[in-house]
Amino acid sequence: MTDVERLFRTYNAALVRYLTRRLGDRDWAEEVAQETFVRALRQTSIQNERAWLFAVATNLVRDEARKDMRRRKHLALLAEQERDEMVEPEETTLERAQEAAMARKAVDALAERDRLALLMREEGLDYNEIAEALELSPGSVGTTLSRARRRLVESYEALQKSREEREKNAAS
Amino acid sequence: MQHLDEGTIHSWLDGALTADEAARVEAHVKECPQCAAAVAEARGFIAASSRILTALDNAPRGVIPVAATKKRVDPIVWRVAATLLVVAAGTLVVFRDGGRQAPIATRNAATVPNAVTTSAPTAAAGNETHRMTAESTPVLQKPGNSTQSTAVGGLQSSAGLAEKSALKGGAVDASKPRSQALPPVPPVTYQAEARAPAPQPNTSAGENRKVAGQAGGAVTDNISISSANARAAAPAPQAVAPIRLRGASSPYAASEQVHLNEVGTLRRLGAKVTLYEVTPGDTVTFTEPLSTQLESVVTTGSSAGERARQLTGKAAAAPSKRADAAVVSVPDSQRPTAVEGALAGAPSALVPATHVEVANGLTTITWIDTATGNTLKLSGRVSEARLQQIKISIERERAAAAAKKQP
Repeated sequence: MTDVERLFRTYNAALVRYLTRRLGDRDWAEEVAQETFVRALRQTSIQNERAWLFAVATNLVRDEARKDMRRRKHLALLAEQERDEMVEPEETTLERAQEAAMARKAVDALAERDRLALLMREEGLDYNEIAEALELSPGSVGTTLSRARRRLVESYEALQKSREEREKNAAS
Repeated sequence: MQHLDEGTIHSWLDGALTADEAARVEAHVKECPQCAAAVAEARGFIAASSRILTALDNAPRGVIPVAATKKRVDPIVWRVAATLLVVAAGTLVVFRDGGRQAPIATRNAATVPNAVTTSAPTAAAGNETHRMTAESTPVLQKPGNSTQSTAVGGLQSSAGLAEKSALKGGAVDASKPRSQALPPVPPVTYQAEARAPAPQPNTSAGENRKVAGQAGGAVTDNISISSANARAAAPAPQAVAPIRLRGASSPYAASEQVHLNEVGTLRRLGAKVTLYEVTPGDTVTFTEPLSTQLESVVTTGSSAGERARQLTGKAAAAPSKRADAAVVSVPDSQRPTAVEGALAGAPSALVPATHVEVANGLTTITWIDTATGNTLKLSGRVSEARLQQIKISIERERAAAAAKKQP
């Protein structure tokens, strides 16, 4: 097994999940992940593989986002249209879709650094790896993560609450 | 000990502290209910945020516009479109060929006697067959050409277009061997050919056209036909006996349908000009006045760019050097009836008055469109008979278009 194959087998799932959560689109996430592994090919030596891969993937997303904000807007529009057009056959699926939409909103409301740190942590990166990937001091990662978690949960709960109120109003 | 800050609690819960630090935090939490509550809250946040993030994993696929666009707008669309175009063109040709059979038979009966009195060279027949083959070639095999020409047509002069068509025709001639299986076309005896030195059997189509064109220049027949007469004659084709005008044979080969392959549209003041390619190298400019004034059709029979340029650029301005340019009127009773025979089945069965003029190798026919009352003009460096064919085709197309508009 080549080095890149090993890297891919070890980290692809986590990287794609991280990117999917980050971007909201699995195809896009897979594309970025593949590009990340392609870049790893060109690298002669990587100190911390996981930190390097997540850092490169994060930068690819960031560069792309910087390059084409319009595309992101278009993407959001398309996603919204798709959500509107989507017909959910089951209530459980609807419930899950609503949860996903709220989660997306809550994640998007986070500051970029908080969001990335949290998503990386969820993929098992330790504090040193997160610090390396995001160019933070290792001591600030705990603070970053605690802030990110609190804000995420609070905004999610706020969304949940307003949804429940809407449903209550609709029922009455 | 000071109370634990939130960051330290999360670091401890995430296992990111050193053993010493972790032991210190653990000891404090045991003693401090406030910090114990904060730790409980932090555990809740960690678990909740993990659960929230898991909800993101059912992300939709294929929301990316750019990458998706690259994949989806792929050449297959063009391939399908091209295939449909080819099939449609092929169907059109097949239907037209089918429709041609009956008129050909009618015309055969009408023209046979004439063939005896004219030179009716077999070379001419071969030539005509060749031409008909060439006509269908661009329709069937080069559907893209017309589009290309259309794009150019709006900007260039008709001379330029004719030149292009000539070049295109040449390319087709060179690359596509003629199919021998095509339906045989009966001999067409042009009036011009009757007078001109009979073309050698081995001469090329282009040369033959040239001969025909030059001879056409020498012939100065002028035929006037009244609409009333045409109407009277149309229902009785069996009574038709082709009338010979100055040795002209079966004058119009009227049943010969010309494929009007539209290759471009030009804009002129108060008129829409449509350019058709009747054979490779032979283009027709069809002018539809936007006002109800003049409708003219100009054929630029050109197998060479030089001729096209001469036609459109100089022919009109330059004084005719040929002494044989003249106009002769023919009484109504002598009108060629083969035209009516062919037109009897066509939507526009009326044969309007036709005026023929030949000057400097440029043959021009003018007639009144019975539907609109407009004066139509057809001219080009081809024989008069050829012009009559083109005229009939144009009339048919116009009638068909009119029928479509008013179902």
